[in-house]
Amino acid sequence: MTAASTEGAAADTQVAAAPDPDEAQRAIEYCYEQGWSDGLPLVPVSKPLLDAFLATTDKDPEEIIGALEQVGRDVNVRTAAINAAMAGCKPGYFPVVLAAFEALLRDRAARGGGFQSTSGPSPLIVVNGPIRKELGFNTAGGAFGPGFRPNATIPRAIGLIVRNAFGVHPHVLEQATQGLPGRWQVCIAENEEESPWEPLAENGGVTGGVSAVTATLTRTMEFVDNRHTPNHEDVLRDFQDTISRIGSQIFPLSSVALVLCPEHAQMFASAGMSKQDVQNWLLERCGRTGAELSSMGKAEVARKTFRGEYEGDEAFHKFLAGPTSIPVVVAGAKNAAISMVVRIFGEWSGTSVPIVEKK
Amino acid sequence: MPNAILDPTGTVTTSAAKPAAPRAPRPQSLRGKRVGLLINTKQNARPFLEEVGRLLQEKYDVTLTQRTKVNFAVPEPEDVIKEMIAENDVIVTGVGDCGSCSAAAAADGVVFEAAGTPVAAIITDSFIPTADAMAALRGAPGYKYATTAHPVAVLTEDKVKERAAQVIDDVVGLLTENPGKAEA
Repeated sequence: MTAASTEGAAADTQVAAAPDPDEAQRAIEYCYEQGWSDGLPLVPVSKPLLDAFLATTDKDPEEIIGALEQVGRDVNVRTAAINAAMAGCKPGYFPVVLAAFEALLRDRAARGGGFQSTSGPSPLIVVNGPIRKELGFNTAGGAFGPGFRPNATIPRAIGLIVRNAFGVHPHVLEQATQGLPGRWQVCIAENEEESPWEPLAENGGVTGGVSAVTATLTRTMEFVDNRHTPNHEDVLRDFQDTISRIGSQIFPLSSVALVLCPEHAQMFASAGMSKQDVQNWLLERCGRTGAELSSMGKAEVARKTFRGEYEGDEAFHKFLAGPTSIPVVVAGAKNAAISMVVRIFGEWSGTSVPIVEKK
Repeated sequence: MPNAILDPTGTVTTSAAKPAAPRAPRPQSLRGKRVGLLINTKQNARPFLEEVGRLLQEKYDVTLTQRTKVNFAVPEPEDVIKEMIAENDVIVTGVGDCGSCSAAAAADGVVFEAAGTPVAAIITDSFIPTADAMAALRGAPGYKYATTAHPVAVLTEDKVKERAAQVIDDVVGLLTENPGKAEA
């Protein structure tokens, strides 16, 4: 036998063992034709794949895990599992999808009109605990993606549930004016290893290092790049400036999530600040005067409520109501002092949901 | 035999399979009727509907009551629906000028109609597809409502009044016509 013919035989064996790409493409196109896709290819789901997802939870496949009352649709565990599989999740991710969906539906804005809104908000999903390592979440650089399967596919699963199970389709029941880049793609795993503080899940009531998910809706995010000063109060003022931007202010009060890089978080901690100290510092200072707001046509915002009176040019209007208006997360690499101000649509429920895997 | 590809939409009840939501019978005229204004809290919705109410009062000597929607994004709760039906002969609601509130205006309309009270919902023309989709979901495909040009939120007081005057004939038509007969 010549060397060439040996190579040829090996190549033939490989071809025979590989799945049929033509069949795979037909299955993918079939999914597109049904109107199930968010625009990207879907994993066609078979009964054995569905069964592998259902085997990861003790929940009954028929259990209803969420409803969108205004459109008269609900979703059970089985349907959620089909959508999670289609999104490219591995079966082991399914308990995280279930917890993320529960966490998100605790948001009043998500249960209300959030998914239909002209604002076109995206879920912001934060994962804490040992499950981050077990499932291979990215907990380091490039926290907002892409490149990591659980971070990328879990939020997509939520988007597909909203599309397919709730029937909220673009241009019909979904009326986003522009939406945002990264809608249904924002799932970060907190960098607990380099955070000087307690994990977000603990602020949401899940203690003891239990794996948990926190979720809310976001309209967009804006970076604060400040690697220019050793003075932590200067950096806080930089955050204050971004948080106090008037363009994003549509009601008297608003909410942001502060996704701090390890370097900023450690700088604040070294100055003796707890997470709550950082929150309180910003709560007191983020806002604008009546004159500033009304000069940009937002006198409405400069009222205690929309039916209140304009409180005058001099009055200072705080934008953030309390700690749940400014959850703090630590994420990303410790390689530059770059953090993100994430604009929350509505308000975070203030709670986290433990991830429950099959016993 | 290969495995089937599973459907991710769950148990969907199509609008066709749903019992059609009945449309309320219309009065011959609005003269002396009780008109409920259901204001959805969106900017300019209040002055818009108040002007519609004022015009109806002027022309037909109607009695007005007002209510603010509990949550603009979703249909009204059952107890509010019941109270409004008891207090009014017809209802005007709006102004739907966002994704969820336009759909909710159509949904409220269908629910009031099914309970026997005619509704004129007012929606800006940007949101026709979402209002239509919601009405179909609620068992009333082709549900009729009034439209005004988008946007309403940024209009001055005078312009809001102009818009209300422009839409008033449609509102009266929606509340008094009998589409069942017209279509027959």
